[in-house]
Amino acid sequence: MRYFTFSWGKNYIAVRALLRVLGHDLATPPQITAPVIERGITLAHPFLCFSGKLVLGQLQVQVDCGEQHMTFMSSLGPEACRCADTSEYLESLFGTTCPAFSAHRIGGDGVGTALENLRSHFGPRITHAQCMRAYAMFFGKVDLLDKIERQCLKMFHRCPDPARIRALQAEAVRRVDDAHRIVSLWRVSRWFDRVAATLPKRTEPPLARIGIVGGEHILSELDSILMRLKRLAEHGILLDWRGGFRCLAHSDETRLAPLKSRCAEYLAPDVSTSEIFSCTHALDFAAEGYDGLLHIYAFGCMPQTAAKPVLQRIARDAGMPMISLAVGDRFAEEGLDNRVEAFVDLLRSRRRSGKVAV
Amino acid sequence: MTAPSIGIPRSILHYEFDGQLASLLEGLGVRVVLSPPTNRDIFLAGKRCMLDEICFPVKAFAGHVAWLLDHDVDAVLVPVLVGHENGRVFPCHVRTRLSDIVVALGLCPRDRLLSPVFRFDELGLRPEGFYDLGAALGASVEAVDAALAACRTPSPPEGTPQTRCPDAPTVALLGHPYVVQDPWLNGYVARQLRELGCSIRVAASGEFGYSPEGTGQHFDLAARTLTLARQWDTDATVDGIVFLLPFNCGPDGDIARYLTQTTRKPLMTLVLDELRSDGGMRTRMEAFVDLMSFREPARRTVS
Repeated sequence: MRYFTFSWGKNYIAVRALLRVLGHDLATPPQITAPVIERGITLAHPFLCFSGKLVLGQLQVQVDCGEQHMTFMSSLGPEACRCADTSEYLESLFGTTCPAFSAHRIGGDGVGTALENLRSHFGPRITHAQCMRAYAMFFGKVDLLDKIERQCLKMFHRCPDPARIRALQAEAVRRVDDAHRIVSLWRVSRWFDRVAATLPKRTEPPLARIGIVGGEHILSELDSILMRLKRLAEHGILLDWRGGFRCLAHSDETRLAPLKSRCAEYLAPDVSTSEIFSCTHALDFAAEGYDGLLHIYAFGCMPQTAAKPVLQRIARDAGMPMISLAVGDRFAEEGLDNRVEAFVDLLRSRRRSGKVAV
Repeated sequence: MTAPSIGIPRSILHYEFDGQLASLLEGLGVRVVLSPPTNRDIFLAGKRCMLDEICFPVKAFAGHVAWLLDHDVDAVLVPVLVGHENGRVFPCHVRTRLSDIVVALGLCPRDRLLSPVFRFDELGLRPEGFYDLGAALGASVEAVDAALAACRTPSPPEGTPQTRCPDAPTVALLGHPYVVQDPWLNGYVARQLRELGCSIRVAASGEFGYSPEGTGQHFDLAARTLTLARQWDTDATVDGIVFLLPFNCGPDGDIARYLTQTTRKPLMTLVLDELRSDGGMRTRMEAFVDLMSFREPARRTVS
């Protein structure tokens, strides 16, 4: 059977891999374009976060094209973005125009519930071995896509030929999608490393190093909605982020414990929500002497709204400039330039005067 | 030795805990300072220090914390509300991080915050948080038990006495406890509806515990709202529902459209924010009451 979902950047490719192991397939989600965003804004309640609107826009466009069976990856840990998994809400939105619409949440609170969840949607014949193989392919692709994205972004600031990086990235993503076995993923990874090593490099250090924190979904979609921001890297700015889909997709208490301990001064340790990632990464960037912090979040995103004052406090305590960009219905990328240019100027002048984060 | 004075913001968690925090502390011999009911000055004090995009009630909450700190309390009580034991139902992120937010904003130093951790299960709040709170104040388990027993007598919800006149249409007020029970925050909606000849129905305290299941919702209060709406939609004694939706509330934003699509009785959504116009609200309420009166009695109830 063919399913459909939203893009999560390129991570739909990992969901497709999981479905293929189970004998199914996944439609390629539409690009996030102005009409898709507009569709989501029209469909959603105004208070839904902008990420949610992007998701609804992508889903509605596919429903319009005749897709019926939606699947979405929720957390493998106890809590991720709680806004996910509101199946009734999705059915209320799409069920009226598409009576056969169904929403399937995959993921679970561990291997046991993940298998249970897969069986409830894809049939009782799913074996434990199939489940393990499906998730091995899923996480294998999540990790490799993450590596490709991160390394390409870092290469932009030191490679004088950005077109070659873009070509490498596109080809690497295509090969990841085509890989059907773990060993094939390993080969793609090796191939990517080899080609990346041959790209020309600038010798001078970056003009400034900026750590990016924020909503995991919106960060995954920077290619669609904030490409202008990523072009900072082509002007010699090192951009870096440490989050990613894997954080959310596999955030059980064992993995969260060291992060909670890291930000215990700022966040109550009993709560296991995704703002822990943003705060930990901000603390890491401060400890590593990054020049500034760029906080990007979807307007209305509850985890990031709760995290914003805490991030501001972390930045203030560390003496590290921070800029927050809320991406929402009325966000115009054109208006971004002045703010970001001013921020980068500030970082450069601080660097010239020898001021660094403490 | 004088008893310590603990400030309790008369805002979000005070209403969610049904006033039990204040009663418990008084039972333990603590001098409780409850901030006054929300008013414009309190709200503006909170708005000045809070993020623009945060929801309307949390801005008011910050104003209550600021008021308490201006009134020489030894500590302010802002519990950490974690979530359901089943790991599937939670408070929204902002409510769960209230103590972190007031510290990060510089409103209150961490050492003047009292932040016991509360969890809930299908029966409602679990008692461990109360024992932690008692322990932090040097009270024994027995003393906490005695104070809890004394404060768990059901009381009518604050701010909105339930009224029922046989001939008047009954309007149910749907929304979070801290919106329904805070008259300034909801624009005195109960008083205005009564002036228009309506009886008012609100959820009884603790009616749904903290974790109504089966709604498909992760957020506790959205699940509660949905459960209440379904119940009132089939309740023959309810003629219409007014849904009080605070500006930029994510969980309620999720369900607002669903509610309007699926509720069969007259339902009016009032979005509450600091820019609201009292005249506009009154006009909408009058139109809503007219709408209910035009419906034939037989159609008022849903079989």
